This record gives sequence, structure tokens and C-alpha cells, in this order.
Amino acid sequence: MRLKHMIAIIGVCYGIMAVLPIFVGDIRFVMNIMIMCLIWAVVASCWDLMMGFAGIFSFGQVAFFVMGAYCSGILAIEHSVPPVLAILMAGLFTAVMGVLVGLPCLKLAGPYIALVTFGVHMALQPVLRGKIGIAIGSGGSVGLLTIPPVSIFGHAFSSANMVPTFYLTLLLSLSCVLVIMFTIKSYWGVAFLALKDSQDFAMSLGISAFKYKLMVFALTSFLTGIIGAYYGHFYGVLSYRMLDLDLFSILMVMMLVGGLGHFPGSVFGAFLVVAGSELMAPLGAYRAVTMGALVVILVLALPNGVMGLFIGRRKRLSAG
Amino acid sequence: MLSVNKLNAYYGEAQVLHNVSVSVDRGQVVVMLGPNGHGKSTLLKAICGLAESVDGEISYQGQPIDHLSTDKLVNMGVAYIAENRELFPYMTVQDNLKLGAYVKAARPHEKKNMAQVFSLFPRLKERRTQLASTMSGGEAKMLAVARGLMSNADFLCIDEPSLGLQPSLRMELFSTIKEINSQGKTILLVEQNIPHIADLADKVYVMEEGRISFEGNSKEALGDKHLKEIFLGM
Amino acid sequence: MFSEDTILLFYEITDVIIAGLSTGSVYALMAVGMTLVYGVTKAFNFAYGDFFNMGGYFAWILIVGLGLEFGGYPVILLIVMPLLFAVGYGLEKLLVAPLRKRKDWENKVMMMTLGLALFLTSLYMVVFGVRMKSLPPILEGTLEVGQLVFSYQDIMIFVMSISGILIFAWMLNNTRIGMAVRAVAQNPVGATIVGIPKERIFATTFAISTVMVGFGGILLSQKWFINPNSGGIIMVKAWVVTALGGMGSIRGGLYAAFIIGMLEAFVGWMFGMSYGIIALFVLLLATLVLRPQGLRGKGE
Repeated sequence: MRLKHMIAIIGVCYGIMAVLPIFVGDIRFVMNIMIMCLIWAVVASCWDLMMGFAGIFSFGQVAFFVMGAYCSGILAIEHSVPPVLAILMAGLFTAVMGVLVGLPCLKLAGPYIALVTFGVHMALQPVLRGKIGIAIGSGGSVGLLTIPPVSIFGHAFSSANMVPTFYLTLLLSLSCVLVIMFTIKSYWGVAFLALKDSQDFAMSLGISAFKYKLMVFALTSFLTGIIGAYYGHFYGVLSYRMLDLDLFSILMVMMLVGGLGHFPGSVFGAFLVVAGSELMAPLGAYRAVTMGALVVILVLALPNGVMGLFIGRRKRLSAG
Repeated sequence: MLSVNKLNAYYGEAQVLHNVSVSVDRGQVVVMLGPNGHGKSTLLKAICGLAESVDGEISYQGQPIDHLSTDKLVNMGVAYIAENRELFPYMTVQDNLKLGAYVKAARPHEKKNMAQVFSLFPRLKERRTQLASTMSGGEAKMLAVARGLMSNADFLCIDEPSLGLQPSLRMELFSTIKEINSQGKTILLVEQNIPHIADLADKVYVMEEGRISFEGNSKEALGDKHLKEIFLGM
Repeated sequence: MFSEDTILLFYEITDVIIAGLSTGSVYALMAVGMTLVYGVTKAFNFAYGDFFNMGGYFAWILIVGLGLEFGGYPVILLIVMPLLFAVGYGLEKLLVAPLRKRKDWENKVMMMTLGLALFLTSLYMVVFGVRMKSLPPILEGTLEVGQLVFSYQDIMIFVMSISGILIFAWMLNNTRIGMAVRAVAQNPVGATIVGIPKERIFATTFAISTVMVGFGGILLSQKWFINPNSGGIIMVKAWVVTALGGMGSIRGGLYAAFIIGMLEAFVGWMFGMSYGIIALFVLLLATLVLRPQGLRGKGE
């Protein structure tokens, strides 16, 4: 997809978002959903960059999100680090973790990467809940309850004042998404396309698959860690239950709806799915069942997600 | 027995076969020559249900077979012997042969065919309990042909059987193919280069760039200077 | 001669070993099933753990829900195993086969089965409730050999798992279908050439692995509880065992299963159950770094 089109789609999505508070600024419920959309858009886009674009089948995105969130929360609570700094440090921490996980993974083939990263995800839960977690301040099964909100120059950005918080989130989300976009469109991006198409040939040209993949791990975990940390400071509350498969699958649905590898489909997908998921909240326990079924159906029926419809039309136009 | 009419085949977006028409009569040995990568293998694969995007007519003994799956074709008596042999590496020679007789039509004749195959290829009989992965290039080719025979097929599509073999083995292989034909099997053979073609072929086709550029008997083939130089190794 | 403490310790350790053997045998069953499916169809099933629970739940429905008393376990198995086979076969044909034609199909299958896993897990929660269920043991009571006490339950689990594996191995080596399965695993192109209906073999293999893992579920649910949320962990465990043993080696899977069964039992005894997973994970990482092809590497 051309840079122009990407910018256009991102512009439209974020533009609409930016304008909405004028109409719904005082409806907390809706503002909350929108902030969530913005946060998840970053995570979904990072995951898309990893899976759809770089072709690394990592299932660790949620784990990194939670790691970033907890790290920042613990820093702020246990060590009184100011939230903005804590967020940055959490991002760096998560980036390091990303590299640590990436190093052994990248020597492996597809399903193995998925499983190791999934294993990280699964192993994170008992660590946070158990003695190790409590020792570092994760709050065990209770979690963190008193994470301070981000405050810049004395202004606190919390759910107390939604509109400014919303715009801060918008800014953060947009920046992250733009970073991802420029990565895809840069030399790195071309390198990845080459690696995906034919790894051997690309390597013969001197493109080091390992180096690039590791950088993707670092970048996506950094961004995910930052947005995760921000999430913690916004919500104020964290629990190990975020690691349940529920969230995991919702993220997957976002990417699938948007179209894997068709950036910025996942931004669009995130907006759609978060909104849809809230609408489905009354389903209660059946929501997860529906989500699971949705993933199955989407993989089978819509291989390219919503973006697929868009691309399909253009192809048909050029062929006809 | 087999006729192909106006066949087109595609590999992705590229067209590999253009309006190809070929016919093989019962009991014949028909040889298709041509440079590498020009579609000969694709034609064989298309006949045997192993090619993906194909349109056109293929009929066997009067019945259309162009959209039939390979397992049905083998049951009907059409067998494919791959250039890459495609053997089962961790199974013995004997098991590979047994699997050749997997389809229902072949099972009742398994014992008889195995004996026949062993008499055609004594070297395989010696090595029957060895793993297929330990076979030399020539032996592997023999095993591939033998396995194809186990299917009790009447029509064999053989793809470049002599590729990579030493001259002595090639001669041996071609004479075995001749022998198989004399036992009643119809053969469509694809090769790059057959010096003693007159002994073997009843009919010769040449495929260049996905199109048939020559059709005739071996005498006519030998009379064509272009053919002689390029394909007949003279 | 030995102090009383040492003797008690000896008995405790024997208990742990027995426990390790019985869970190890079920892990072996699961690993064989997973190796089979992956080796033949190259499809990775994230919902494997949920199939494990499916077996347990089917049995539970029959025993507790419907109160099937007569015939006992043999009847249960006679009903549940074909059911599992049908589910596996149907799912493969419906959900996996269509994906095979797409590019990147292995990834797509992983995603789809992940969705399936979530679907099944939450379905179990909705239908059966969050609380864990348990199955009555096949044989109650204990066997006493001198001073050692073995529970019949553990013995039965061990015997039945091993029998299952042996029956499967026999089928693989001595039946025509078994040969066909091995052929598809070794060379799918060759298998097609020879006239083996590849798609049907894929579905059959998937079905067989579903039966195996479901059977394991029935067995182990007698000892532990059926936890609707455990699908993910069970899948990861099965995969760790398979990876340790080497994807594609049945014998490797067997060794690895018992090693891990033992490891889990001992770590659980010494530190507490929740650390079992961490130990597993460490072992997994160690394997991947030191000897990526597992204990027994390739081949069948």
C-alpha cells in the first residue's frame, strides 16, 4: 500500500477520533471506549508489524503489554518514580525483554516461535501471581490497585478529566502508529518484504534476517511496553487476569478484521473491534465464545480482513 | 487411448502450456522431447491430476479425466512416475513397492506384480529390505518405475527417467522400458535427450515454450536436422 | 537399619515416582498424538489442550450428567472415543482443509486453532461452569506390596495409556492405513502419486490424535480435576514434551513424556504445583538452545 494511502487512512481514523469529543465529550462511557480503541490500536499495529509484516509468528504481544504495565506500575508505586519517567523506563525494560525472548526464538521455525512466546505468556501469569511477583510488588492475585495517573507539569491525566486525557492518548497512539508506519515504509520495510518473499535470496544480498527480526522484536516490545504502561496509569488498576486468552483473542480479531500485514488495517480493526466488543458486553460469558468463533470464521472467510475488500476493489479496477 | 486436446496450463499468472494437443494409442511408446522448463513435465502432471491450474480436454479410453484426482486416476490405470522419484525414504524397497499397489484396483495383483517387478529389476530384489534413502541414483530411478508398475496401470507417464544417470544405466533403463512396453503397457515418456530413439519410440513430439513444435514418427524425427542436433544427441 | 524418617522419605519418593509415571504415561499418549498430527499434516493445533478437556467432559456428561452406571468405563470409552474421532474428522475437514490452499497456511491454521481454543474454553465455562469437575476412578482401592502402597488408579492410568500407545504403534506399522499415514508423513507428493487419498488421511490422522488426547483427558481427569481454563497450559505441556522428544519421533516423545512427568511430580512435591510450569518452561528453553532437535530428532 502506498504511503499516501496509509497516511490517508490513518488521517481519517484519527481525524474522526479527534473530532468526536466535541459531540460526546461528556459521555464518560463513550470516551472510555475511545481511549481503549487508541490504546489497542497501537498493540494491534505492533502485533501486525511483527506477524503480518515481518512474518514472525510471535504470540507474546499481550505478555509484553502486561510486562510494560506492571513494570511502570511497580516503579510508580514501590519506588515513587514519576509516571512519565516510569512509562519510559517500562518501555525500555520491555524492549530488553523483547530482545531476550527474541534471541533464542529467531533461530527457530514458525510454530516454535509461536509456542515459545505463548509459553512466555502462559508462564507470566504464575510468576505475577506467585511469590516472585509479590516480592517485586506485583500484588499477587490481587494485582496493583493504586497506580498514579500521568501528570505533566502538575496536571493529572486521569479519568477525572477525560477530554485532556483523551487527547494525550490520541497523541501517544498516533505517534506510535506513525513510528510503525515509517518503519514499514523505510528501508527496513523493503528488507522485510524481501525476507518474507525469499529469505535465502534476501540474505545473499546481505540483508541479515536475524538483525532485522531482532530489531522488530525490540521496537514492537518497546512500543507495546510504553502503551501498556500508559494503560496502567490511565486505568489505575492492573491484574494478572489480563493474561487470560480472552484479551489475546480479541487482539487477534482486531488484526484479522483489519487484515494481517495490511497496515494500517489493524488500527481500523482495533477501533471496530473495541467498539463491537463493548456492544457485546451484555452477552456476558458468551462474549468470549463469540470472540473465539469470530476468530475461526474470520481466518476462514476473510483472509485479508477489511483491508482485503479495499484492495480487492482496486485490483479489479486495474484489471478491468 | 489417451488424448489431450487444446490444453492450457498456468503456474500462478504465467501460462506454461498453450493449446497443447497430444494423442497416444494403446500399446505405443510415445516420447516427448524438448528443452528443460518448457512444459513437458507440466503436461504429464496435468494428465495425472497433479497440476493445479489447467483447462482443456484430457480423455482416457474415451472418458474425460481432466478434473479427476490422482487416486481415481491410478485406480483407472494411469500412473505417474516422477522425475524426482518421490520415494518414501524411511521405508524399505519392498514397502515402497507395496505402497505402489495401494489403490483398490492394484491390491489383488500385488503379489504377481511384485514378482514381475523383481524379475525386471533384479537389483531391487537384492535390496528389498534396505531403506529407500540408501539407494543410489540409478537404483532410486528403478524403484520409482517399479513402484509405478505396482499400481497395475496400463498407461504410464514417465518423467525423465534417465536424468542424471550414467550412460550404461541409461541404456539399461531404456531397454527395460522397452520390455515393459512389450508386456502390454502404453507409455508416454518425457526426456531431454534420447540417442537411440528409433528403437524405442513409435511416435515423437517436441515441446518448445509450452507448444508442440513437432509431431511424427521416429523416422521423421531422425530426418529433421534441428531435432537431431538438439534432442537426439547426435 | 534406616531411621524412620528415611523410610518415610523413601515411601514419599516412591509415591512421587508412581505419580510421575502415571502422568508421564498420559503425557506420552498426548505427545504421540501431537507428533502424529504435526508430522503428517504439518498443521499445528492450538486447541489440543481443549480436546483433552473435551474427552474429560464427554465422559463426565455420561457418568455424572446422565448417570450411566451399567457397563462402567468400557461402555464410556466405547461411546466417547468414536465421538471424539467424529469431532476430529469433522473439524479437520471443515476448518483445516480449506486453509491448506492458502499461502502461509500453517500460520493461518495456528490462528484459527487459537480461536477454536478460546471458543472451546469459554464454551466449557458457559456449559459446565467455572468450577472444576472430577471423574470417578476406573478402579478404586490400593495394591499393597510389602510396605509399599500403590493406588489402582495410577496403575490403571499407566496401563491404559501404554496400551493405547502400543495399539496405536501396532496399527501404524501393521495396517494398510498405518502404512499410508507413514507414507504421507514421509513424502506427501509420493503418497499422492501412489494414489493415497491425502486429504482423507489428513482428516483421519487429525481424528486419531483427537481420540488419543481425549482418551488422555479421560484418564487424567480421574486423578486431577477438569478445569475449563486449562486448555492452554495442557497444550503447552504437550508441546514441550513433543519438542523435547523431537517433533516426529515417537520414541523420543515417550522418553520425554516420562522425564517431564517425573520432573513435574518432583518439582511439585518439593516446591508446590504452580512452579511446575516454570520448571517446564526452563527445560524447554534449555532444550531449544542446546539441542533444538530434541532427544531423538527426525525420522519415524
